[in-house]
Amino acid sequence: MVYKPKKSLMTEVISGLKKIQIPAFLVVCVTIVTLSPALLLAGDNGPCIECHTKPDKLKVAEKAKIDPVTGEIKVLSMLIDEATFKASAHGGEDFFCTDCHQDLDGKDVTEGHKPNLKPVDCITFCHDDPAEEYLQSTHVKLMRENNKDVPTCKDCHSGLSYHYTSVGEKSPRDVPRGTDPLHRKLTIDACGSCHQDYLNSYKNNAHGQVATLGHTTTDVPVCFDCHGKHKILNSSDPESKVGKERIIETCGNCHANANASFVKHVEHPQIKNIKYYKTLLAAVKNARSDPGNLKKVIKNPQTILCIVFVMYVGILAFTFSAFGLHSLLSWFAVVRDEYRRKEHGDDEQH
Amino acid sequence: MVMTSNTNYIRFRLFHRFCHFLIIISFFGLVLTGMPLAFRGYGWARWLYELFGGYPTAGYIHRVCALITFFAAFIHFIYLFYSISVQKKKGFFWGPNSLLIQPRDVFDIIGDIKWFLGIGKRPNFDCWIYWEKFEYLSLMWGTLVMALTGLILWFPVQFTKIIPVSVAGIIDLPSIALIIHRYEAILAAGFIFTIHFFHTHLLPEKMPVDEAIFTGRITEEEFKHERLNQYKRLERQRQLDNLKIAPPSLFVSFLTRLFAVPILITGLIMVGLMFSALLVWAI
Repeated sequence: MVYKPKKSLMTEVISGLKKIQIPAFLVVCVTIVTLSPALLLAGDNGPCIECHTKPDKLKVAEKAKIDPVTGEIKVLSMLIDEATFKASAHGGEDFFCTDCHQDLDGKDVTEGHKPNLKPVDCITFCHDDPAEEYLQSTHVKLMRENNKDVPTCKDCHSGLSYHYTSVGEKSPRDVPRGTDPLHRKLTIDACGSCHQDYLNSYKNNAHGQVATLGHTTTDVPVCFDCHGKHKILNSSDPESKVGKERIIETCGNCHANANASFVKHVEHPQIKNIKYYKTLLAAVKNARSDPGNLKKVIKNPQTILCIVFVMYVGILAFTFSAFGLHSLLSWFAVVRDEYRRKEHGDDEQH
Repeated sequence: MVMTSNTNYIRFRLFHRFCHFLIIISFFGLVLTGMPLAFRGYGWARWLYELFGGYPTAGYIHRVCALITFFAAFIHFIYLFYSISVQKKKGFFWGPNSLLIQPRDVFDIIGDIKWFLGIGKRPNFDCWIYWEKFEYLSLMWGTLVMALTGLILWFPVQFTKIIPVSVAGIIDLPSIALIIHRYEAILAAGFIFTIHFFHTHLLPEKMPVDEAIFTGRITEEEFKHERLNQYKRLERQRQLDNLKIAPPSLFVSFLTRLFAVPILITGLIMVGLMFSALLVWAI
């Protein structure tokens, strides 16, 4: 739950919360002796799981927290949903709670532990590589040079995992793995929230049409499989995964023996993008004044795709209207003949 | 009521009935597993795709059905080749028994339009009516297009290998194949489920199914009503008696309906969903 001071009731709740902030923190943050004694040893999550999965064993099951960036007051659950945690990127066999909560490493937690653990610093402890990679990405370059509003760590890593947790709400602990289909699906929408045109054209592609149907296992490529995760670079960059230097390697991850012709594939067909048709028309219009541009447009593989698409729309429209009319008329004629025959028959009887 | 005579004539031999059956099975398999991809944004498409096992199972079913289509096309062309070059049968390319467009088809079309407008009588047809020829030829053409583009999509790496890199930068074979495969499929499915259904099976006089392609037989009345020219021609050539056959048993008739009616309903539902998508898009 996130309380936003929008309604008057909300405002009241929040002002109330603020009043009792210090005593609440004192009460809330003291995690008291748990019912079954357990010793926290390095390399064993048992003692943590023992209490943090059972509300009745926790003196404090929820904590209030003020987000240092947005100032929102959030209610954090101290409970861990074991299934979600185990399925998450942090749920591996050789990964321990104390790897992040290092202030508890080697401490005896039989009698509980201190109420406020140190904030976990993901980047300093473990994830320094992706952070460094991210700093080299085209996103960051745009931010530094053009002052563009680009996604930073939290823009991607919060929303994508938070949708997903059930009990251990809003914890980076339960961040899903890169192979998780639902997570992979959410990343498509996350990229698409800015790159709308690319999302739309991806949906028209052989890969994207399967993803749109809801299949986003690792067999079906999503944005980051081709473009990279943290070090996303413009295709003009020689290190880019989709640039001409590395594209054979990238496609070859799935398509064995991918060759130089194969990788010319248009992954983002513009067949349903009105903007591309406008540039096509403009190029044809200005053919005399700017023949170079027309040549460029003709050599663009998108052009032939658009022509084939428009041709088929025409064929479909013509066939169904012509034969639809034929069906209707023949039905009408059969019924008319039947009616006349009956009338005629009636006349004969008189 | 006119008394129904008990005389039946053979119209489709077992081989053609078997081919039509193969085409039904494979065509429905292909449409039901393929159409969800073309209409991927709609709830029914997701439901249908999941019904057939989702990814990648639905894709495997699609490929198996494609192989059945290839087989049907293969035996059809073997039959044509055998009949023309070995048995030396005549009339495949020209004449009243040919499925290719003939000059008289133009007159038939004009005659039909006159009949629609009420300024002429219903024209008499021979062995194949012009729209049946159109359906046959578009089936041949469509199968060729779908098979070729389908194979490109099935083996994209191998197909692009034969294209020089400079050309591949302008002509993107797999993308072109995908677009053609998608819209040719909509054309084929839409055509079969509306035009073929409404011109052949769901006519007011045929409802719910024209059993001829399943039992192989038509009654004398049907023969005279639909293909009077052929009837008269065979009568003149004294071949009519050779085609006489016992009427289909009630059991076979029942089986035909049991098989065909659900198939027809499925096709109509599919085309309804497809056209509703068009409406949603238009609105």
